[in-house]
Amino acid sequence: MLKYGFVGPALALLITLNIFPLAYNVWLSFTNYDLSGGGPRSVGARNYREVFTEPRYASAIRTTALFVVAAVGLELALGFALALALRERFFAKPVVLTVLLVPMMLSPAVMGLFWHLIFKGDYGILNQALGAMGLPQPQWLTDPSLKLVSCVLIDVWMWTPFMMLISLAALNSIPRHIYEAAEIDRASRWTVFGRITLPMCAPLLLLAVLLRTTDALKQFDYVMVITGPNDAATQTLSALLYQVSFGGFKVGLGTAYGFVVLVAVIAVATLFTRYLGLLQGRR
Amino acid sequence: MTKRLACLVALALAACGRKPDSGGDVKSITIWWAQWAPADGLQELGKDFEKETGIAVTVHQTPWPSYQDQVNLEFGNKETKFDIVIGDSQWIGRGASKGLYVELTDWLKGAVDMKTVHPRAAKYLCEYPPDSGKYWAAPCETDGIGIAYRKDWFEDAKERDAFKAKYGRELKAPDTYEEMRDIAEFFTRPNDKRYGVAWLTGRGYDALTMGYEQLLYAFGGSWGDPKTFAVKGHVNSDGAVAGLEYLKSMMAFSPPGGAKLDYGEVMEPFYNGSTAMSVNYFAFFPEVVKKLGDKAGFCAMPKKGDRRFASLGGQGMSISAKVSKGRQDAARKFIAWFEQLKIQKEWIKKPAGFPANTEILKSDEFRKASPYNAAFADSVDILVDFWNVPIFGELLAPVQQYVGEALDGKRPAKEALDLVAEEHEKIFAKARESGELPK
Repeated sequence: MLKYGFVGPALALLITLNIFPLAYNVWLSFTNYDLSGGGPRSVGARNYREVFTEPRYASAIRTTALFVVAAVGLELALGFALALALRERFFAKPVVLTVLLVPMMLSPAVMGLFWHLIFKGDYGILNQALGAMGLPQPQWLTDPSLKLVSCVLIDVWMWTPFMMLISLAALNSIPRHIYEAAEIDRASRWTVFGRITLPMCAPLLLLAVLLRTTDALKQFDYVMVITGPNDAATQTLSALLYQVSFGGFKVGLGTAYGFVVLVAVIAVATLFTRYLGLLQGRR
Repeated sequence: MTKRLACLVALALAACGRKPDSGGDVKSITIWWAQWAPADGLQELGKDFEKETGIAVTVHQTPWPSYQDQVNLEFGNKETKFDIVIGDSQWIGRGASKGLYVELTDWLKGAVDMKTVHPRAAKYLCEYPPDSGKYWAAPCETDGIGIAYRKDWFEDAKERDAFKAKYGRELKAPDTYEEMRDIAEFFTRPNDKRYGVAWLTGRGYDALTMGYEQLLYAFGGSWGDPKTFAVKGHVNSDGAVAGLEYLKSMMAFSPPGGAKLDYGEVMEPFYNGSTAMSVNYFAFFPEVVKKLGDKAGFCAMPKKGDRRFASLGGQGMSISAKVSKGRQDAARKFIAWFEQLKIQKEWIKKPAGFPANTEILKSDEFRKASPYNAAFADSVDILVDFWNVPIFGELLAPVQQYVGEALDGKRPAKEALDLVAEEHEKIFAKARESGELPK
């Protein structure tokens, strides 16, 4: 009995905060539940039929995928490059690192609001600076081809430090003697990078990519601030979910969208963790 | 021991804030409204009500962007924290058909002389279904879209001469959309950071829809037939397309980023002295007077041929069906008090306290009380509104999206409105099938 006493509280917490809401959401996704319009009635698989036949859903998947690939890809490249640059000891390194880490410590919603001001077409500081240098002043918030780019830029600005931090940890975990051996073998810089640095950093980098991808798949904050949830140019899955649930009041349909997003996130996470396991097995 | 336990339970219940059921016991009522100047005015008026009746009034204000979400989430509970909600005109169908609002038809006719309520305000703010004579709200804030313009620029002798030389007529507040276009073009001087017009084009909730609505109607289109819900040939008619093309053409005279300006943002270029005209709801204009004084003038929306319309804003007072009978009675008491002529005369003294009372609207006292009141009073006669059916949220989404895409140059106006019509037909068909609308 005592053993259940130890497990019980954790189990109760898990059931209350994770399993029950998930099960309740699955049930809601098969109903016509309306935000404030009375009790839910079962509608069978109608919500899921609608999810998979709705063109807006396909468009939101495309937008989300584009956002994830662009944002996470850029963050990985920039973060790793920064980590390589900051790998060696130098004067004021802790200060530089601290300053670089500040963006990821701020709230995404607040960042979105600040960047909205920075991107403003007329008096935004970015366009003012571009204008002062005689460069064209793009309309970051209204040009359909730039709206998603603006969201990606904010995400890159905010989360590149995270990639840098993980990359630095990965780089510092590579034993020094391996580099010394490569030096004795007169391996070129590229060979060292391609054969030692990158492969040995890969598991940690992959973990960082996994964390960022699952997070980016849920992108909502910047989209809400930059364009609102109903702009096809930036409507991610989470924004569509919000629009359906709170704009259209269709909570039943919204939970169906939410459940599909959850399955997608789990699928991506599983793929990554499997691959991560494979990589570690090889080592 | 048992007695002590009973006392504790009673105290706990009292602490949980159970509200009394009998109307006589109610010592306070709570009103929910968006966070803006009229809500402050109502809070002040509430003090007079408390003096007269002993019932305190709290006006709880929520910022506009999250107001609708908050109200709907609250309505999801068994009991609402508000007794009265001052809801957008579009919400009324939902409130009525989902059992959220108390029907006021019989009571309202006794408490308020409906002949004194402007028919457009009664139709759009209080009634559902349209023309049914069933009321679910009492008028509170009547609002419409109008134009604020830089009177000092319009009266500048050099500008007047230059305008006359170029366009062959006097520079004055626009009466037609053609005149408005010319004025906007005239003042557009990007090198001097000066532009013609800032128009409501925001994509967040409904700003773009409201910005376009008056053009849709003035150029000969409409949202559709409110009786049959037919939309094709209305929302994508030639007139509707011409209206959207006009709006798109005006973006050339807007400040940078002018294709995405929400209610607050549309005033920024006007306040900072970079724009000659700003199209927004009258409720935002007291702030213009505060900031620019007599440099600003105001007028109603222009006409196209003989068709002149203004998008309706404003809200009615509805009583929550999810509070006790006693609280509903106290809420009725407040509404009846608020709708009295003498209180309405106090209401108009508050910033953006816009009435629906025809007698007041016609009076010189009201028209001269502020620089924008006369233009507002003229606009009430030309108000039009979006669908106020329970599925209005779903109907808004395609308008915001496709009209926005037309404005961004991603689709031609005709194609965008065809898509709106198609989506609206689908949404109406689905709502009829599911019983949300009559078949």
